[in-house]
Amino acid sequence: MTGPCTRCRTPLEDGDLRCAVCALPVSRALEPTQHARVQILRCTNCNAAIGFDPNARAPKCGFCSSTMQIEEPVDPVETAALRVPFGVPREAAVESVRDWLGKRGFFAPKALRDEAVLDTLQPLCWAAWIVDAQAQVAWTADSDAGSHRSAWAPHSGVAQLRFDAICVPATRGLDLEEARELTPYYELSRAVAVGAPGIPGETPAMIESFDAQRSAARRQVQRAIEATAKTRVEAFIPGRRYRNIHAACMLEGMTTHRVALPAWVVTYRYRDAVWRAIVHGQRRDVVVGKSPTDWAKVAVVVLISAVVLAAIAALILLTRK
Amino acid sequence: MGGSASAVRSAVTFTCGQCGAGLSFDGVRTQTCPYCASPNFVERPPAANQPDPMFAIPFAGDAAWAHARIAEWIGGRTVFARPAFKHAVVDEMRGVYLPAYLYSAVAHTDYTAQIGENYTETEEYETTDAQGNKKKETRTVTRTEYRPLSGRHIGYVTDVIVSASAGLPNDELERVEPYDMREMRRFAPALISGWITEEFSRAADACMRLSREEAVELVGERLRRFMPGDSYSDLSWRTKVQWETLDPMLVPVYVCALRYGEQEAPVRVVVNGQTGRITGKVPLSWWKILVAVIAGIAAIALIALIARHGK
Repeated sequence: MTGPCTRCRTPLEDGDLRCAVCALPVSRALEPTQHARVQILRCTNCNAAIGFDPNARAPKCGFCSSTMQIEEPVDPVETAALRVPFGVPREAAVESVRDWLGKRGFFAPKALRDEAVLDTLQPLCWAAWIVDAQAQVAWTADSDAGSHRSAWAPHSGVAQLRFDAICVPATRGLDLEEARELTPYYELSRAVAVGAPGIPGETPAMIESFDAQRSAARRQVQRAIEATAKTRVEAFIPGRRYRNIHAACMLEGMTTHRVALPAWVVTYRYRDAVWRAIVHGQRRDVVVGKSPTDWAKVAVVVLISAVVLAAIAALILLTRK
Repeated sequence: MGGSASAVRSAVTFTCGQCGAGLSFDGVRTQTCPYCASPNFVERPPAANQPDPMFAIPFAGDAAWAHARIAEWIGGRTVFARPAFKHAVVDEMRGVYLPAYLYSAVAHTDYTAQIGENYTETEEYETTDAQGNKKKETRTVTRTEYRPLSGRHIGYVTDVIVSASAGLPNDELERVEPYDMREMRRFAPALISGWITEEFSRAADACMRLSREEAVELVGERLRRFMPGDSYSDLSWRTKVQWETLDPMLVPVYVCALRYGEQEAPVRVVVNGQTGRITGKVPLSWWKILVAVIAGIAAIALIALIARHGK
């Protein structure tokens, strides 16, 4: 730890380029090379001048193709300090996917459950931040308090709120939507330290690295807190009914813990196309993912709807005449 | 795998007599200014009191990648462009680290607005039936009641980047923004090794003013999304910025001139060196626009004629 940010009192972490909350740049210790505007680096293999190669993301020699050094990020990439253990074994995950495939709705192919072939089933602990913070929250909303001719009247206010254990996805392996759907179902109180002895019978799983700095994930953190704030400010809105709630948060004193959350990543094949589903690592009934659509069914429904609409239109016209 | 840097020396600085850009580089050959293709490009000593960049965003694609983006861009802009433009040739493309300032602040804003809340009413109106008799009917109409609202908005303004370049003005940089700030690195000479770097040629004070204007505009955008109700009007606000920071940084751009005819002036194109977003002024073909306008008018006239004939 390098001490708190002077602007918002958020504790800074080693490697933060800027404060994770307010983006105040973190100054680096003075280094003698800081005054050099351009340096020419020479390859120690063939002595040719080396340039930064965007493809290699590192300085690379154009003559002998040596990558001079894999760019040492000034920001260290962190790994999770805590992990939530797996509670769903492999067999249960397979069964969950089969059940999920059988309940994909009317427009899914009828044979999906039986004909889908499971390609891979990988246990993975995906990366997330657990955030605690205080915030000044400015809000606006419509409510029935003070309404006149319209059922709604506008209101605004500012509240001081504290947020605890807000889970913010930091994964690149899962897409944001998948992560958002899985997040509410984790029991974070069961988290254990990474490296602590495993629970007997627990599935060993790969832990995803954090490839984004906490400071670089400011938008995700802000969005997650604002989504929670919209629910929390409901207590401050006068009246019995409300709508159109907007919240603007100014976070202060944010602390984060890096956590790895368990999930089964499943790829399945249906008639030559590959699809993906994710089974929650603690709740076997929570499965998210994508599945094929039976376009023949869609066409039939569209056709029937068109015929019904045409019949109704004809009926209206005939009655008018 | 190679080893570490074994030799370090300073780059050569040039200045453009046409656009005023000052550029530092070595290991790169050019006899013309990368920004304006002017041959009035002379060596000079490095400018004094240059700020040390604090951050840099590395290039994410090489020249071949930038060429491919430009080819796609040309292909998507040939409908109203001059016919020769689709055969435009890229002339001397250069990757340049552009000097810029990164601004952040705390913004406290007091606002007032009129918030429109919709409601419905049933009203009577007079109509004429098929036999020509006048009769009264009712219908539901939506009306808006405006209510005053005032309040406070708070938040951090971050990631505002303004150009400190003489060769590339801020509005042109804005057209290729945003940059993915997650890829931003603390400045290290190895990041810009082998690339052209422009010197900071706009004063920090001027960049601070420009950043503040962008920050207030950004607050305005947030406020427009912050308003409740079904609509709003007369939104006005006063923003007080505190805790401002302005840090020098380098952002990657590819700059080139597109030549599409011997008699025609080249078109300057700027490519975001990280995302591939492009800006450039496409030469328009006025006869193509004229034909399109005439065709549009003819189509409207035809539809009107058919509708009239149908009655």
